[in-house]
Amino acid sequence: MSQALIDLVREKFPDAVVSSHTHRGDDVVTVKREALVEVMSFLRNDPQAGLKLLRQMAGVDLLTYRTENTGGGALASIEAPAYEVQNKPRGEPRYYVAYNLYSITRKHALRVRVELRSDDVKLPSIASLYKTADWWERYLFDMFGFQFTGHPNLKRLLLYPEFVGHPLRKDYPVRKRQPLVPELDFPDLVRGPGPGPGGAGVPMSQTHVGRKNVDPSTYD
Amino acid sequence: MTEPAHDQDPLALEAEIPTSLMTVHLGPSHPAMHGTVRMTVTLDGETIVNVDPEIGFLHRGFSKSSENSTWHQVLPYTDRLNYVSPILNNTGYIMGVEKLIGLRPTERAEYLRVLGGEISRICDHLTCVAAIGLELGAFTVFLYAMEARELLWDRIAELCGARVTVSWTRIGGVATDMPPGWEQKLRDCLPRVLELTDEIDTLLTRNRIFVDRTRGIGVIGADEAIDWGFTGPCLRACGVNYDVRKAHPYSVYDRMDFEVPLGSAGDTYDRYILRLLEIRQSHRIVQQCLSQMPPGPIIIDDWRYALPPKKEVFGSIEGVMAHFKLIMEGIQVPAGEVYVYTEGANGELGFHIVSNGTGKPYAIQVRGPGLPILSAMPRLIKGHAVADLIPVFDSINMIGGEVEQ
Repeated sequence: MSQALIDLVREKFPDAVVSSHTHRGDDVVTVKREALVEVMSFLRNDPQAGLKLLRQMAGVDLLTYRTENTGGGALASIEAPAYEVQNKPRGEPRYYVAYNLYSITRKHALRVRVELRSDDVKLPSIASLYKTADWWERYLFDMFGFQFTGHPNLKRLLLYPEFVGHPLRKDYPVRKRQPLVPELDFPDLVRGPGPGPGGAGVPMSQTHVGRKNVDPSTYD
Repeated sequence: MTEPAHDQDPLALEAEIPTSLMTVHLGPSHPAMHGTVRMTVTLDGETIVNVDPEIGFLHRGFSKSSENSTWHQVLPYTDRLNYVSPILNNTGYIMGVEKLIGLRPTERAEYLRVLGGEISRICDHLTCVAAIGLELGAFTVFLYAMEARELLWDRIAELCGARVTVSWTRIGGVATDMPPGWEQKLRDCLPRVLELTDEIDTLLTRNRIFVDRTRGIGVIGADEAIDWGFTGPCLRACGVNYDVRKAHPYSVYDRMDFEVPLGSAGDTYDRYILRLLEIRQSHRIVQQCLSQMPPGPIIIDDWRYALPPKKEVFGSIEGVMAHFKLIMEGIQVPAGEVYVYTEGANGELGFHIVSNGTGKPYAIQVRGPGLPILSAMPRLIKGHAVADLIPVFDSINMIGGEVEQ
């Protein structure tokens, strides 16, 4: 639809663009991680691009992209990905993050991709550019473990803090069980702070509930 | 006898009472926190200093489950993304798969999808308006809206076989056609739905209490709303004309004559009033669908994607083979990556789908329209009274299923 946008990025950042293509009407441009913030801020603020709406950020783990040719469907075991992972060499870069951008005024869209190697999953945060990126980056940290440097509050979005692993990575088995989280101590509002029935010995002020907001000394 | 303090110092009555900040947890099991959101609200007296929405209590692993299902098995999961307007979600997902394949459904199926989708949109908006009314004390509004929604959900049940979890669309078409006499039934119940909508309009729109509670509450400007990723009625309430149905008409929306109502203030009241106006526009689209609906098949006749008719399955070897392969292996979708977006009831519903050419989606991530809007809750509510949290939260109509996936 708008090859023009890809050309614009290529022209402006000849060194930053790794590759670009158009598939089923979606324009995709892959940029280097170092240039991400620069490219995104250009795309957002340039009047010709004007991509002010960050629709979505998605992550993809390519670990089993080529190996999972088991025919798919119900015949393929749910354990298959884990088995395949053990026996196949890893392709690099293993992950990419896709930023789906859109311009309401100019009615064009662009997907910016950043590739990440499995041994270095850091990438710069764009939460200061797009406010909505705050939660999407938390979501991707939660699901893939990507480390967004410069994010103001990088913690899990949907899962709980004690969760082990990152479920949308392809080497995370579907049926994996999580360890039980010990019952947290909670302050008794009548009798004052003290150990809860779980006896884990963690004061309320150090649990994820109370860490920020509750000061145990304020209870009568 | 000592004198009262204000007798000695008239200003004592006006003096500020020293208070400390107080933290209140709203939810996750609180009737006003639709679904299961927890808001950690920091209060200074009645004034909200900060809100920290915590989501995920309804997380069902949508993406992970979908990656381990065949393309058609994902469909029931999409019902549960927005359980008030499931047909819109079904359509959004199926359109993504069709975009990957490069497939067009039959014309009648397109009309049926738009018809079902717009009925769902009316239901969704009615639910939102009902909730705002209910939680501001107007219980009658809730009852009127539920009566209208039940009328429509009965029609959906007759059309799809289920009230809520319909799983109605299929790759290349839809599952069932309109049953005999259904069109007349729908035509008969639509005037009642409009009548009830007008009734709600009369009860709320010029109601002093309602207007005072919603006007100027939770205001956000157009540029900021875009920055926060707002779409749908919440963005249009700020005066931004962005409706996917108009900006990038999909299905048969380009043949429909309807308007996109716009607000100006970007407050809770505008978000409410837009939903009422959109109900009327959706009603127009439903009427046009009914009158323009062409006869014909409801699903494509291509056994690589659509199940063969049962007569063929039991009567021919080709039929039984196609059936077996579709059920056991799933549809083989060409490798690729698409982002597909449709206008959900609360905003742009997006699916980012990656296929590696097998029978299962390689990666699916959903953009629930409520997620970016919910993330802006602290921005919308800071500085208002704690009682204002309820109408603001209602008006963004966050749906737990799609936000928490």
